[in-house]
Amino acid sequence: MRVRLLPLVALLVCTTAGAQRPPPGYVSEKLPNGLAVSILPDATMPVVATQVWYHVGSANEEPKTRGFAHLFEHLMFGGTLSTPKRAIWDHHERYGGDNNAYTSFDDTVYVSEIPPAGYTRVLSLEADRMIDLSLTSENLENEKRIVTEELRLTNENSPLNRLYTKGLKAIFGEHPYALEPTGTKEDVAAATLEHAREFYARFYRPKNAHLVVVGPIDAAATLAKVREAFGPLPADGETPPDVPSLATWKFPAEIDLSEDIPPVEIAVLGFPLPPTDHADAPTLKVLFSLLAWGHVDPLEEDLVRRRRKALFAGTRGMTMRRGGAIVLYSASLPYRRKASAYRFLDEARQKLGAFEWIDEAKLRAAKRRLILSELQDAYYASSIADRIGRAAWYEGDERHAFDTAARIDEVGLEDVKAAFRKYVLDREPIRVYVSPEHVPVLVRLFGWLEPVVR
Amino acid sequence: MRAPHAAVVALLLTVAAGPRAHAEPSVLPPPQVQEWAVDSGTTGMLVEDHRVPVASVRLAFPVGTWSPWGRRHHLEEAFEIQMRDGKGELRRRADLLAIEVALSPQERSSDLKLTCRKEDLASALALVRDVLFNRDFDRDELKRRRQARKFAWTASRKEAEFVVGQAAVRILFREGDPRAQSFEEPPPLATDPVRLAETRDALIRFPGRIIGFAGDLTLDEARRAARGLLPDPSASAPPDASPVFGPLSSASERPRDRTVGLERLTQVYFAYGRDSLSYEDADWPASEIADHVLGGHFNSRLMVALRQEGGETYGAAVQNFGGLQPSLYGIRTFTRTANAARTEGILRDVLRRFHDDGITEEERADAGSCLVGRRAFDRQAPSQILSTRMTERLSGLPDGFTERMAERAAAVPLGELNAFIGRFFDPDVFTMLKVEAP
Repeated sequence: MRVRLLPLVALLVCTTAGAQRPPPGYVSEKLPNGLAVSILPDATMPVVATQVWYHVGSANEEPKTRGFAHLFEHLMFGGTLSTPKRAIWDHHERYGGDNNAYTSFDDTVYVSEIPPAGYTRVLSLEADRMIDLSLTSENLENEKRIVTEELRLTNENSPLNRLYTKGLKAIFGEHPYALEPTGTKEDVAAATLEHAREFYARFYRPKNAHLVVVGPIDAAATLAKVREAFGPLPADGETPPDVPSLATWKFPAEIDLSEDIPPVEIAVLGFPLPPTDHADAPTLKVLFSLLAWGHVDPLEEDLVRRRRKALFAGTRGMTMRRGGAIVLYSASLPYRRKASAYRFLDEARQKLGAFEWIDEAKLRAAKRRLILSELQDAYYASSIADRIGRAAWYEGDERHAFDTAARIDEVGLEDVKAAFRKYVLDREPIRVYVSPEHVPVLVRLFGWLEPVVR
Repeated sequence: MRAPHAAVVALLLTVAAGPRAHAEPSVLPPPQVQEWAVDSGTTGMLVEDHRVPVASVRLAFPVGTWSPWGRRHHLEEAFEIQMRDGKGELRRRADLLAIEVALSPQERSSDLKLTCRKEDLASALALVRDVLFNRDFDRDELKRRRQARKFAWTASRKEAEFVVGQAAVRILFREGDPRAQSFEEPPPLATDPVRLAETRDALIRFPGRIIGFAGDLTLDEARRAARGLLPDPSASAPPDASPVFGPLSSASERPRDRTVGLERLTQVYFAYGRDSLSYEDADWPASEIADHVLGGHFNSRLMVALRQEGGETYGAAVQNFGGLQPSLYGIRTFTRTANAARTEGILRDVLRRFHDDGITEEERADAGSCLVGRRAFDRQAPSQILSTRMTERLSGLPDGFTERMAERAAAVPLGELNAFIGRFFDPDVFTMLKVEAP
């Protein structure tokens, strides 16, 4: 049986300028109180995704509210003046839905997925907790205990997580991205009810929120319900000021870290990237697709296969709203001096500057990989809601959720080369060296044999 | 601190919420999976869906890492290494087609998966064929992976979750049982490309193969695409291709308490466990409801007692590894070291009360509607529908088993459920396993 194309799909497979319009049925509105609303109906989907993006994350915390972004991710399930604690979970459970939230450096997002029969009540529940959250000392103290257990689990009891936490702090220094979005135990312990209420009143309000609904819904009826539920909320709230861009941040030149990891030493070169709304963003997407997201990673080919200077090597990317990074890394057994490891990595970086990894055919393939990835997401209401929320907040325009094909189509071979030169070849990297705390004697003595016997 | 009158408070909150709405059951049409015989040992399947111009392909070979044959012949590395030819041509072709070819040896099958634009399907399948016929395995890469396997093992022994799992399987399974395999030190990775190619050649010919398609193609297109994709099937699989499961330790053999040490932990990790049921057990549908109420969602008995009321933990849940065979059944949580005794007490108390009192009609109804409603999540993409059907077929389960199980579970009457809970959740057959700093 033939079914019509999903609304988004036509835009992904077509790269003409006309395709930059949002799909049919899409509704975008700002309510008088400042709440941004995006609705995308799709009758073929079996679940409705509702997301509320609050544009406040851990990077926006002030000294007196450290850890609050994540703490609120928990407190928001604590009931309201008119709805009992945990009601939002009860509602989702009854319909087989899911309701959760996550905190990042730049935002806190509340996500619901539920079969269509249950979705209108989700809107009322979200509106209710946007204004009437029950912020009591009992709730606060309980969530502080829960969050502290989460922090112990994620930040203390896993060597790799410990390394990540240490690395962020050392690399970002005084930048707000230095602190893990989950906060620290000390921050959580210091949280007071007074400051929690102030944080809620400033940031959990219509002017700092974006509501996105995607799924088998009637757009007009949903908009009416949104107006009814959220319209009466006061026109207040504020969006915190932007944190400094990573592109202009002064990073330390070199950092050494150690942790209880397997006996490998890891050399890393990090290159900061500009914010996600920068004009180079589409080119950087294509660059990542070429270097990091295929089967062949040019850095790995050179260091691991051709020259056998590392056991593992590769290219990775990090993306935060106010900047990201291209990361080149290599790992080898701990018999080599740090200077040699950096030298090999630097040589590999310079070789990438010969651009053997890119030609017209590879560029086309890299773009197709990006489009294919979005096409695969097109079945899922939550993925599309996420794309709309992210485009609005990270790229400054929700329409960018629908114009990926057109934007990356404009990226040419020379644009990618120029971006690589600008961000990687012409920059001094941040150097990070990670050593294991313990190295078995045999590995220390005979590790050098590994590339020989391989 | 726990609320002193939790039951009274819960009642008040329920009243404040007004009458509880009864969830409308989601009406889902039966999944449409078309099927045909590709050859004497291969079934073709298609979930046709033209909403998005992509096609997903899953080739499933009915032998996996739990097979004694597979273990003896290093199936895992033989299957995974196929994309790695000496010159890297296969990977380069995959990149030019912008597709990711995933080769995943599973416990009971070995799967090749890819998704591509519809217009690339023919080229993608030509690549798949060349991958499955590739005999030039990259020896260097095999040796590198051997080292990587050692590191992965070293790293996992420092993760609390892994140590809990390892301790649990050592209590429940006898040595050599495939269900314990992923928690025991793996053998050195085989690096002889010739022998590995022989293994791969044999395993992809075992009868019972499935070629599955999902997405933007018609039955005619799928039939044409499947033709000649695989080498001819062998007449039969070797006798030791299927996994062999030993008996589980009996309740009387298992310790009531066990503590395992792991350096540097600041929390204690609990697994309060026993042996699980299997699908063959008449009580399985009841166990799905019981698991859900006890530890299957944010407001479960465990989460309310251990997280929502007293902040003892961040998470508490039931982990049921049973299914085709009985396996581990664990009630899991963790807490700060200084709070371990209190948390253990609550954990034991939750189980005891669950066992003694059973569940309420309201809990039963909510759990049933949740399990039935949740089926919609596995119906979003055609590849999900295909995956469910292929997994059922490879497991020897009837078509639609997974979705019908939710309905069967929702239909179990309260009396039957509570009788089952009284039998299964007897605290005297559970072992309290803890992982903590020595």
